[in-house]
Amino acid sequence: MDDLISEFLTETGESLDVIDSELVRFENNPEDRAILDNIFRLLHTIKGTCGFLGLPRLEAVAHAGETLLGKFRDGELSVSPPMVTLVLRAIDQIKVVLESLEHSGVEPAGDDAELIGLLEDAAMGRLPEQAGEQVQQQPENWDADLGRELRPGEVSLADLEAAFNSADPEVDVPEIAAAEAAPVEHLGVGDFDPDLGRELRPGEVSAAELEAAFASADPEVELAPAVAELISKDMSHEEALHTAMAELKAGDDHIIGEGGVKVMATVRVGVDVLEALMTTVSELVLTRNQLMQTVRGLEDDDLKGPLQRLSAVTGELQDGVMKTRMQPIGDAWRKLPRIIRDVSTDLGKKIELVMDGNETELDRQVLELIKDPLTHMVRNSADHGLEMPADRLKAGKPEKGTIKLSAYHEGGHIIIAISDDGMGLNTKRIGEKALEKGLTTHDELARMTDQQIHRFIFAPGFSTAEKVTNLSGRGVGMDVVRTNIEQIGGVIDVTSAAGKGSNFSIKIPLTLAIVSALIIGCDEQRFAIPQLAVRELVRVGAGSDHTVENLNGARVMRLRDRLMPLVDLHDVLGVGEAYNGASDETGFVVVLDAGGRNVGLVVDNVLDTEEIVVKPLSDSLRGVHAYSGATILGDGSVIMILDPNGLAGEIVTAMEDEATLEAGAAKAAEMANTQRLLLVRAGGSEPKAVPLALVTRLEEFDPKAIESTNGRLVVQYRGRLMPIVPIGSEIRTTEGQRQPVLVFAENHTSIGLAVDEIVDVVEERVDMQMSSDRPGVIGSAIIKGKATDVVDIAWYLDQSRAGNIQRRASNRRRRILLVDADAFARRMIAPLLAAAGYDVTPTGGMHEVHAIAEAGEKFDAMVGDPSALSRIRQEGLWPDLPTLAVTDWPEDTQAEGLTAVLPRSDRGALIAALDSVSQEEKVA
Amino acid sequence: MTTHHGDNSELSAESMNEYVSVRIGDQLFGAPVDAIREVFAPQSVTSVPLAPSEVAGLLNLRGRIVTAIDARRRLGLPPRDANDAGMALGVERGSEIFGLIVDSVGEVLRRPRAELEPVPAHVDAKWRAMVKGVHRLEKELLAVLDVSAVIGSAGSKAEAA
Repeated sequence: MDDLISEFLTETGESLDVIDSELVRFENNPEDRAILDNIFRLLHTIKGTCGFLGLPRLEAVAHAGETLLGKFRDGELSVSPPMVTLVLRAIDQIKVVLESLEHSGVEPAGDDAELIGLLEDAAMGRLPEQAGEQVQQQPENWDADLGRELRPGEVSLADLEAAFNSADPEVDVPEIAAAEAAPVEHLGVGDFDPDLGRELRPGEVSAAELEAAFASADPEVELAPAVAELISKDMSHEEALHTAMAELKAGDDHIIGEGGVKVMATVRVGVDVLEALMTTVSELVLTRNQLMQTVRGLEDDDLKGPLQRLSAVTGELQDGVMKTRMQPIGDAWRKLPRIIRDVSTDLGKKIELVMDGNETELDRQVLELIKDPLTHMVRNSADHGLEMPADRLKAGKPEKGTIKLSAYHEGGHIIIAISDDGMGLNTKRIGEKALEKGLTTHDELARMTDQQIHRFIFAPGFSTAEKVTNLSGRGVGMDVVRTNIEQIGGVIDVTSAAGKGSNFSIKIPLTLAIVSALIIGCDEQRFAIPQLAVRELVRVGAGSDHTVENLNGARVMRLRDRLMPLVDLHDVLGVGEAYNGASDETGFVVVLDAGGRNVGLVVDNVLDTEEIVVKPLSDSLRGVHAYSGATILGDGSVIMILDPNGLAGEIVTAMEDEATLEAGAAKAAEMANTQRLLLVRAGGSEPKAVPLALVTRLEEFDPKAIESTNGRLVVQYRGRLMPIVPIGSEIRTTEGQRQPVLVFAENHTSIGLAVDEIVDVVEERVDMQMSSDRPGVIGSAIIKGKATDVVDIAWYLDQSRAGNIQRRASNRRRRILLVDADAFARRMIAPLLAAAGYDVTPTGGMHEVHAIAEAGEKFDAMVGDPSALSRIRQEGLWPDLPTLAVTDWPEDTQAEGLTAVLPRSDRGALIAALDSVSQEEKVA
Repeated sequence: MTTHHGDNSELSAESMNEYVSVRIGDQLFGAPVDAIREVFAPQSVTSVPLAPSEVAGLLNLRGRIVTAIDARRRLGLPPRDANDAGMALGVERGSEIFGLIVDSVGEVLRRPRAELEPVPAHVDAKWRAMVKGVHRLEKELLAVLDVSAVIGSAGSKAEAA
């Protein structure tokens, strides 16, 4: 692309951002000349450059916008929200054209006559002229109200853009006309009343506008002022041009207004140049460190002096280069006022955006990465956090909601807080959804504090698009935000009080280039852990107060009266021998903040802390989540940087493996985790077991509430009829006792299994001893020393649907390889498959899969996330197995090479698909 | 490079292929000279637990981190003797440097381009994906490595996952 054009694009992009936020500021402070002058100057520069570069379309739009602004500046027009909206639309249109200019290098074809017309109408003096124009267009329906209704604020931006982009103007006009006509009908001609107008569009009608509307009701005044304005328009334009020229000449160090944009003597340097400089300086720092280490042992004064100096200069150079990368956080916030204005206009809310700490600086790279998450969060607060004005008044709060953004430095970090005084998070709903998603259990939930429950909004997959409304939209995409923030080594937290508001706080490092890291040793190898993730260090073993203890095979440590799960880095990485916990051996526990909770990582040694330069991982290692990068130490050796968040995933996997290993099941085939089982008594004295993970709720009903319709038992439950199926032969009720029912919810339908008695909850590995021919029973296992029937929930579910699928014709239990990187997903699916009578081997990653493949394990089918399955396919492991992909987004998944792609939410479909695959196999 | 009269010039440089000859297992391979940045002896390779098996580790090459890829692993050959570090071909791809670890590096060979023969169809598919063709030398065959394929699949596989 032409250098000139590309420079123009960068410069104009920046100017437009400034205009955006300045306009919003101006709207609130119409008296502030300085703001208006600044906007005018920026727009004028854009227009001038467009003319110079031969971009007529941009020039025309900019000119029309400038003309309107000129009217404000000359005091000929008073500022009103619809006017500002119009100018903002012109800015948006310029952005649209710029974008396509950036892609194609030429101005796109198109016609902005419509928009320019509106701008010119608006600039044509006061509202009567505009009204006059409208009369010409729609003389029959014209009404005082119409003038306001026709304003651009009424038509959605998308519609307008679509209309503008469309090549055929003849189609567009009726569309817009229709959109315009609708509100007129709605209001009714002659129904005009100022109060009504205000009520319909709260917060939008200014006094000036109403006056104007009254004035416009008198058509006789129209013509004369129109002519006058036309003349003065030309004059004022010329005048404006002179002013702008003068301002431009005024010099580089010109400072515009209070809080405005400072124009200082600067040189524009490409970001890549700075990046290269930064890399070089980082290398210099490393070399210096190396040199210092070498010289440390020497007693050479001749060398020491210059070296000291070299060291100091290098440090200064590093600081200097770092400074070039620093940008005020205000740059990331610049778009926010406009976004808030749009949201408040769209939703009819009154919102004040307070920004504090604009000038707080942070690394450009970090800034880029947090821009989108921040925008998302602020929009969320405006959208879902703040209530409608009426609700606010009812709650005794001021009508205008406040969103406050603040930023400040603390240590090597920057803290950003986003708070609102809205309704706060809905603890109950979040809890319900966490249960629904299988993120927690009733027991755990009951013990949690509100804050712990609120944190579920950050859980992966917690908010998917389809569920938005379930949670009144709050917390939408927060898992994505969290991921983005954690990617740059940051942490995010939330506090919220019902009815008072929510406060999100983000802590991120100032720079990503150099981080302080703890160097630890594990099996003769060194690894770096970013200090940010390290909460504390504890020594265990000989001579220490702390010891590693075992709890049913899982390692734990007592830390200030709390049990902390421990995981050994040896196990996680699959190297060397794990710390054996013997009293004569010492080890170190690095307490990590892994996904918001404390996890102790057992390592051999803690060696050093060092400032390290993070180098990105090679493509071939990007799949390994345990690392976030690599670095070169002072002594020249390369070491891996452990990623605490990626490690958390590996830790969960390692914990699961460990638990089973300790239970004496060494075979890979028996990697299935222990299950929580609900023991019940029904139809006989022997206990029956139901995997707890499948049970949605436990309820007790009054036996009288159970009714019989159409030969089936049902109960009214949460406003719906729920079929009740007895696990035994019949429902045996005792007078005066409530009937215990296990509720299973699936796909908006639920069924209840009636049992005689709920006995216990146990945690045990289900080792199926005998399979069963009896319908409704998977087989028998020894649970708590007693032979226990394991209930086949899927069979009952099918029963209730009267769709009894014939399954498990073969006596051999079919083996399923479950591959899913998400530990939660594994926990959800594994018990389901086990309950349906399959022998499940859950795996978390490709290294486990490889290990199993190398061990020569055989399976009947594979279930898991699509990407993992395709990878297994590509590697040619188990080539003939049916593969069933389970995903939250089945329609977005490439089904190539997979037997079936199924939605994760539909458990029945998965079992049915597995059954049919098994059937086919048997036939073949 | 093509020039407007390039078609007529049957002269030396245009028609000859230059290879760095390397030995991997028992086989002689040729790596096109223009694909190789440098040849170096890999020192103090940091092994990376959990990494795909073909990644031999990371090493420091004058301040840059190089990902070492084990050619034997890629070609499905048995591993080298533990004491033998082998030699490395430095390959630049994008902003990254890879080190392809081979057993030994020999002289640079020049062979007429016209003599490059396609890989016989019955050769193992794994090899065929990484070998561009074969030159018949006097005593043995020179398999021409597609260096980026040998390195490349390590990266592309990670993307697929």
